[in-house]
Amino acid sequence: MSNSIRNLKIFLLFSKYSIKSLLQERLGIVLFTLGKIIRFAMFFFFIYILVAKTSTLKGYTTNQVIIFYLSFNLVDTLSQLLFREVYRFRELVVTGELDGVLIKPYHPFLRVLVGGVDFLDAILLGPYIALTVYFISISTGITLTSLFTYILLLMNALAITVGFHIAVLALGIVTTNVDHSIMIYRDVTSLGRFPIEIYREPLRWIFTFLLPVGIMMSFPSQSLFGLLSIQGIISAFVVSTGFITCSLFFWRYALRKYQSWGG
Amino acid sequence: MRAYLEIFRTTIAEYLVYRLSFVLWRVRTVITLLVRYYLWLAIFEKTPVIFGYTESHMLTYILLSSVISHLVLSTKTADVAGEIVGGKIINYILKPVSFFKYQIAKDLADKFLNISFAVFEIAILIFLLKPPLFLQTDITMYIYMIYFVIIGLIISFFINISLSFIGFWTPEVWGPRFIFFMLILFFSGTYFPLDILPTPLYYATFLTPFPYFFFLPSRIYLGLPPNHLVVFAIFGAVWVFISYYATKQLWLKGVRQFSFFGR
Repeated sequence: MSNSIRNLKIFLLFSKYSIKSLLQERLGIVLFTLGKIIRFAMFFFFIYILVAKTSTLKGYTTNQVIIFYLSFNLVDTLSQLLFREVYRFRELVVTGELDGVLIKPYHPFLRVLVGGVDFLDAILLGPYIALTVYFISISTGITLTSLFTYILLLMNALAITVGFHIAVLALGIVTTNVDHSIMIYRDVTSLGRFPIEIYREPLRWIFTFLLPVGIMMSFPSQSLFGLLSIQGIISAFVVSTGFITCSLFFWRYALRKYQSWGG
Repeated sequence: MRAYLEIFRTTIAEYLVYRLSFVLWRVRTVITLLVRYYLWLAIFEKTPVIFGYTESHMLTYILLSSVISHLVLSTKTADVAGEIVGGKIINYILKPVSFFKYQIAKDLADKFLNISFAVFEIAILIFLLKPPLFLQTDITMYIYMIYFVIIGLIISFFINISLSFIGFWTPEVWGPRFIFFMLILFFSGTYFPLDILPTPLYYATFLTPFPYFFFLPSRIYLGLPPNHLVVFAIFGAVWVFISYYATKQLWLKGVRQFSFFGR
């Protein structure tokens, strides 16, 4: 328990530093937030006119497709909020500063994974949650059970994003390349802006089980609409557990291979 | 001329050193293309015509606009911002080569590599996915298309380098570029052809530089009335002039007040 409190204190300390350094770039805060709002609004508008025109997309109504999109935004924004430090990991590896992190008396993930909380994303998280609640409230056929599994599967999606980010960190140690692999992660997860059913086999299978974008982004909404079987829900948790376990193995392997590149 | 050919060659050689980065970048572009492709494919499953587009017209638009966007938007001028902020730009200004011709030579090398890979990737996707494609038989449309690709290339170069010149006044150079890319995402027709927008909004987009990048050349391939083309050609030429003039002014003012601390 005392160890958890100590870790929480270190996390809060890093978060405080992160806010302080963020506030040094006020123009950047405004422009990046504006850019993200533009992107969100434009996709929202696009999905709305597109599905409204065709009535359904793969059997989903306009409201349902919007909930898919909002759920994607929730998971994506939360993961960017928590794991922004991963985007800066390469610098630590190529300069050798990672050595300094590894010898510190706390788990390196506190620094390299969650050590740079991005409060820019926190600004947008509130409106995303409000919109999601609104669109769920005006949807029909949603039960308390489906709402509960929806929230559980969103948390499961967040757990998978942890796995993805750990894998990117490990890849960063092995190849010193983080920038493209994290952006590939972003591009792959962006497949989940729309229901996974729009992709055809074998792509759909790959993006459901091999790179579990479907489980992250589509399963929560599917369960909300009562379209996910109990086997589907269980498989989501099995896949996320397996995914995180593999990522941790990869991280340990990368640490064993680490030779301190910088200097 | 030989100096610029040498710059072209060394830029390509530089990419070949960082092969993994380039390959990962290309993987990203294929992933984003797949999202758009499968989204429209799903929409056409139950509707033969939507927003006046048949399936073959829309899929041709998506694939062609992807190729043209790689040609028009790929650039090395984004690096200039960092070189201004870091003071490195002084090395280029002092050399007996034209700064702008130097950047053009680097840009052409970047475009050459990107378009080569893009054509290759699209050819593989066409072979694997076998989409129904539209073949334009009117030769004048090809001539107009080439005209607008050149217009797009020029506008894109000037706007991209102007965005980097912001570095003369502030180190926060990524915010404006991020917004620029967000606007391209929608007002250049990345996800959908712009003429599906409400008519006044569609025509209003031509007052911005965005449709000239790749929407217009791709749309012309599918066919546009000649009277529209003449108006768009004039508007495009005006944007070439505006972007050239703005870039020249920014450069002159920026260089005049540029100062940095040496090493």
